[in-house]
Amino acid sequence: MKPTLKSRISSSLFALPYTLCFAAFLLFPICYGFYISLHDFELLSKEHPFVGLSNYIAIFTPNSYENSLFFRGLWATIQFVIFSVPLLIIAGLAIAMLVNALPSKLRGLFRTFYFIPYALSASVMAVIWLMMFDTNAGFLNSMLQKLGGQSIPWLTGTPWAWVSLIITTLWWTIGFNMIIFINALNQVPEDYYEAASIDGASSWSKFIYITLPTIRPVMLFVMITSTIASFNIYAQPFLLTRGGPGDTTRVLLINVLDHAFIRKEVGSASAMAIIMALIIIIISLVQYRLTYGRKEGN
Amino acid sequence: MRKKGSMLVTLIIMVTLIAAGCSGGNTNNTTNDSTSQGNKSQSSNSENTKKGKTKLLFWSPFSGADGPFMKNIVDSYNASQDQYSMEFVIQPNGEYYKMLDVALNASKDSPDLVIMHLDQIPTYQSKGQLQAIDDLAANAGISKADYVEAPIDYATIDGKWYGIPLDIHPLVMYYNKDLFEKAGITSVPTNRAEFDAAVEKLTDQQAGVYGYVVPTLWPQQFIFPTLVWQNGGELWDGDNVAYNSPEAVEMIEWMRGLIDKGVSPSNVQQDGENTLFLQGKNAIQFNGPWMKSQFDEAGLNFGVAPVPQIGKAKPAVFGGSHNFAIPQGVTDEDILAGIGDFLKYVSSNSLDWAESGQALASKPMLESAEFKALPQSAIAESFSYVQFAPNVLNWPTISEPIWGELNNALLGNKPAQQAMDDAAAKSQQAIGK
Repeated sequence: MKPTLKSRISSSLFALPYTLCFAAFLLFPICYGFYISLHDFELLSKEHPFVGLSNYIAIFTPNSYENSLFFRGLWATIQFVIFSVPLLIIAGLAIAMLVNALPSKLRGLFRTFYFIPYALSASVMAVIWLMMFDTNAGFLNSMLQKLGGQSIPWLTGTPWAWVSLIITTLWWTIGFNMIIFINALNQVPEDYYEAASIDGASSWSKFIYITLPTIRPVMLFVMITSTIASFNIYAQPFLLTRGGPGDTTRVLLINVLDHAFIRKEVGSASAMAIIMALIIIIISLVQYRLTYGRKEGN
Repeated sequence: MRKKGSMLVTLIIMVTLIAAGCSGGNTNNTTNDSTSQGNKSQSSNSENTKKGKTKLLFWSPFSGADGPFMKNIVDSYNASQDQYSMEFVIQPNGEYYKMLDVALNASKDSPDLVIMHLDQIPTYQSKGQLQAIDDLAANAGISKADYVEAPIDYATIDGKWYGIPLDIHPLVMYYNKDLFEKAGITSVPTNRAEFDAAVEKLTDQQAGVYGYVVPTLWPQQFIFPTLVWQNGGELWDGDNVAYNSPEAVEMIEWMRGLIDKGVSPSNVQQDGENTLFLQGKNAIQFNGPWMKSQFDEAGLNFGVAPVPQIGKAKPAVFGGSHNFAIPQGVTDEDILAGIGDFLKYVSSNSLDWAESGQALASKPMLESAEFKALPQSAIAESFSYVQFAPNVLNWPTISEPIWGELNNALLGNKPAQQAMDDAAAKSQQAIGK
């Protein structure tokens, strides 16, 4: 049935609010950010001369200030992404499967428990975990000492600073992945599992051969969103370790924001942000290709 | 199959774009939260003639426990006269300059009067963002002689005056009176020998009590310069960074020595020394006057004293100073007169601000009986040797590498000299631009 003009108009009207918000809050800032990155945009100056790609070139010039700022930050961020994304996916899936295996009365309760941290603001998260990780007055070290162990320098030691950031991130954001995976798991048809049981499959085989392939699109979604969120990390390293010890956890966004608002070089900082976005896009494309590449033959 | 595939691609690209935006809301919550907080109480000051009162917009970064004290002053000002109505906005402290920069660029809803830290004034003045207040001060009957000299000199650039000081907040020493009594210490230490002796007496590792817990992050921004200057070193020698000098390194090694001796625990993370102080497990803390109300609320039996002279050369202490400054864009005669009136009022009526723990910069207030009765009046003694951040453009950027490397040195990750040399190299790279 060919859509009538009336139905076309009404469906466009449904899409309009979102399109306006998208244009105002995503499209326009991205384009304006790109525009700023082509100018020498100092926050307090009245004039912003056009400088073409020189902000970008400065970032790739070895030994320049922008170069060390960008690549040291990028290295810290990449380390975080490598450590956190696999854990976010595996833990999310594991918790989802555990919650689904609970009796239905407890299921809702535990879903809520695991999701509540996601609703907290960054400041609250920081206050809680600073109290947990405090080397001398913190909860974790008190427990360790009572059990006869040694205090761990959670926020000031390497590799403990990374461990603490990962633990905090998992606690804070795993709820989101868990909910997505629960939904995906619920959509796997029950008959597949029954058929497999009849054929004598083990739980592990069921997981590998039924669950994983069926939730593959969702797995890809979670992988991409977790990677993006991990690349955008700011609150945890800034509030918990201040980029310490030294500058080992000084992630890229901390450097970009410092560059923009302390050094007041918004143009150069915008260039860094654009390059960071391009890196994230490339990685997402690679992830997509790796997951679906084999099917391209169709 | 092809149709499903292309739909999936579209879906994933759309979702990626959305998530790229949305995930900012998750992990970047600090910026989001504070922006919505700060913007709540802004109003336009275009209706100047409402009820005949001229409206003025005043921005401050006092989002901590000291905010309500300034609000009292503004409220009493508004109640004391009929001509002007000052609207007081508190922006979150950590975001203040970001928001100020954006507001100054925007010109609508831009503040008429701002609080600015003394060491920011040269930078903003050099970009033409501030206006000279000599005329406004003369018209309102405010004179430079009414204020402590140090901040006035700093804020006078090319012969013109750019900031009226509200307070001077130097580093101060807080100490736990109960722990001092228990250790039999009757007078506060005033030099390195007395300090070293006192902290050893105060430390009781069995009970988990430490004489002085060394912070490895904030507030080293106040402590390190204080120690360096006391020891005869400099942060900036007029041309280049100088904080990797032997005098500076000696002070870092002294702090590291306290950790090695056990007077301070090792691996102190952000705010660790303050938590232990609040718990009564840390006898001495160097921090700023803004902490006073937190200690009052915790019910601690604490005292305030000037920082002892640990260095070997001279008394010195690092301080900041909140100043009133006027953005360049404020041209309305009426508003300017109102600002002058308000500032004149503040110079004799800022006792409320002193009660937040701050030490005032206005001489009439310093000499008043009410101020002298407050515990922090002892801090005012240090005003004769208080020093502010080096008067160099972009000092925050130049000095930024210090803190990460100092953190490395105090945690024992690097020898102090190497840490400061590495920091100096990074600072020079920042200047090189």
